[in-house]
Amino acid sequence: MFSIPVFFESFGPLLWAARYTLLISFLGIGLGLILGALICAARLSPYAILRRFAAVWVSFLRGVPLLVQLLVFYYALPVIGLDVPAFVAAIVTVGICASAYISEIWRGAINALPRGQSEAAIAIGMSPRDVWSRVVLPQAVSLSLPALINELILLVKASSLVSVVGILEITRSSQAQAATTFRPLEVYLAAACIYLMINLCLAALGRYLEHRTTV
Amino acid sequence: MQASSVEIRKVNKFYGPFHALKDIDLSIPPGKVTCLIGPSGSGKSTLLRCMNFLEEYDSGEVRIDGQLIGYDAPGKRMSGRKLREMRRSIGMVFQQFNLWPHMTAHENVAEGLIRVRGLSKADAMTRAADALAKVGLADKMGNHPSRLSGGQQQRVAIARAIAMEPKLMLFDEPTSALDPELVGEVLNVMKTLASEGMTMVVVTHEMGFAAHVADQVAFLEKGELVDVDTPSGILHHPKDARIQSFLRTYHERNSF
Amino acid sequence: MDIAVFQQYGPALIKGFGYTILCWALGTVFGMMLGLVIALIQRYSPRPVRWIIQIYIEIIRGTPFLVQLFVLYYGGPLVGLRLDALPAGLLGLTIYSSPYFAEIFRSAFRAVPLGQIEAARAIGMAEPTIIRRILLPLGLVSALPALVNFSIILTKETVILSMITVPELMYQVSRMSTETFRYLEANLVLALFFWALVETISRVGRRFEARITKHLIERT
Repeated sequence: MFSIPVFFESFGPLLWAARYTLLISFLGIGLGLILGALICAARLSPYAILRRFAAVWVSFLRGVPLLVQLLVFYYALPVIGLDVPAFVAAIVTVGICASAYISEIWRGAINALPRGQSEAAIAIGMSPRDVWSRVVLPQAVSLSLPALINELILLVKASSLVSVVGILEITRSSQAQAATTFRPLEVYLAAACIYLMINLCLAALGRYLEHRTTV
Repeated sequence: MQASSVEIRKVNKFYGPFHALKDIDLSIPPGKVTCLIGPSGSGKSTLLRCMNFLEEYDSGEVRIDGQLIGYDAPGKRMSGRKLREMRRSIGMVFQQFNLWPHMTAHENVAEGLIRVRGLSKADAMTRAADALAKVGLADKMGNHPSRLSGGQQQRVAIARAIAMEPKLMLFDEPTSALDPELVGEVLNVMKTLASEGMTMVVVTHEMGFAAHVADQVAFLEKGELVDVDTPSGILHHPKDARIQSFLRTYHERNSF
Repeated sequence: MDIAVFQQYGPALIKGFGYTILCWALGTVFGMMLGLVIALIQRYSPRPVRWIIQIYIEIIRGTPFLVQLFVLYYGGPLVGLRLDALPAGLLGLTIYSSPYFAEIFRSAFRAVPLGQIEAARAIGMAEPTIIRRILLPLGLVSALPALVNFSIILTKETVILSMITVPELMYQVSRMSTETFRYLEANLVLALFFWALVETISRVGRRFEARITKHLIERT
């Protein structure tokens, strides 16, 4: 039968493992934001070759399951001479995968701005750099915030897959506990609870930001 | 106030196969108000947008005070820097206001002074406040655009343009997006501007404004400049059948 | 890369692909049906029922699919739910996808103009008839792009079923790579395969969508 003490006891190690889940998600989205900005810039650039590259990048990363990407990167990095720890490989994979989605989020936000917004800036003689930094980007960033928080929530969930390369985050830790205690139901439910708590917090943060930015 | 003149010679504009402007010739005299009227899709907004090169014309010349805009010589594009230099003295007001929603009214007006004219923030804020006072919005300076009525937003947009001390003002259907009861306040600001001797080019459907404020009226249809004359010449004694039919439709729609 | 390896494992890979398509198709259909039921219940039920459903949606959307599968497959037997890998995987995919489908239907129903429904009420149509004749046809068409989109996302989720030993493509590829030690090649080929699959389905989906929504685009 379902044992409530076992359920609560399994929280301890899982919460400790949650630091890896959070670390991978946050570093992953950080890397994704940087790469995503570059990919988005390439996508909007006047050079056909850059646009093409960015389009292939986005299509590949969105077409291939993260689990497969993770294994490809994990096995490919040593082959190209990069002998990095699994933890680093995981963050890089998660970040690269996120960059495809984030670049699309930003492209969507930029395209959602009415053309008149930048035209008004051009008409008073602003330089292209000022048009971007003063008019387009501030609005695009605040427009994209809810979608970015959503992406972070997706990453927290996706980070469960890095358990396959042996990183002791929540899911891997719950597998290990289930194997030693023979109480999989309690342990996995506890793991689900922790993910849920993290994501509910992030969702609340997202709602707060959305509320704050819509003046 | 310094006022610019605009000379338009043989201007053509294509959108793919669509011939949007056909050999347009038009002189905009300094210090005068020119209204561009005509049915929708006639090319009047496109012509206006050629005057600050927001729209690139394909052939012909648009000269501001004798200087070609957009090209150094026919077929040779002007550098971005030089184009920005010219745009500084051309103000533009859009149908959809295009105020920046993440800035207050005050910041909207000051932004160009800081970024383009290179004024210090304090000076820019003072000048912006003056411009807003001039359009009657001294008490709304701290509001974001979303907290202003359409008429107030359009007056902020006018203030944003005049704060740059332009020598030419372009208005692209400035009252078309406004509720009828808000049109008057915007037209009044424009009248004041006209009385100060600003060169103004106004694309409009407000025939009353054209009749009372304009010095000349140009009628366009299907990309062609049909006629240019005094307001009464176009509106009361139209010679061309196309203008007569346009005005007939206009009067039918506006009488009750 | 050794072609011979692929020849040797060819039958297993083809079988795996069959399972992948099977899981995807059934998971999508069942998930869509459950999602539709949830959306309709949410639209027509009293508040407490809506709250309970909302909690279900939040729980499923807030937890990783992998953990849901573990709870179901490894935890299930503890409460008497003994399922083989394949049924457990299908049930998992159905449960996992249902809130996303429900959300798609919910916003599509909201997008049906109230006037259309009022017009039906005005001529005396009964509520079930309104659902069947007005709400569903209009809602489904406007939901179509999102449905197609999410179904494509689900093709990628099927690989996670390999973690509870459903013998789909990823499972076969993992077996092949551990037996031959060709981890990189096998996974790379799998990646390229999925890329091609998803691109193809997206293209077909877009064409299908354009066909169905053609008559709804207003002519100007």
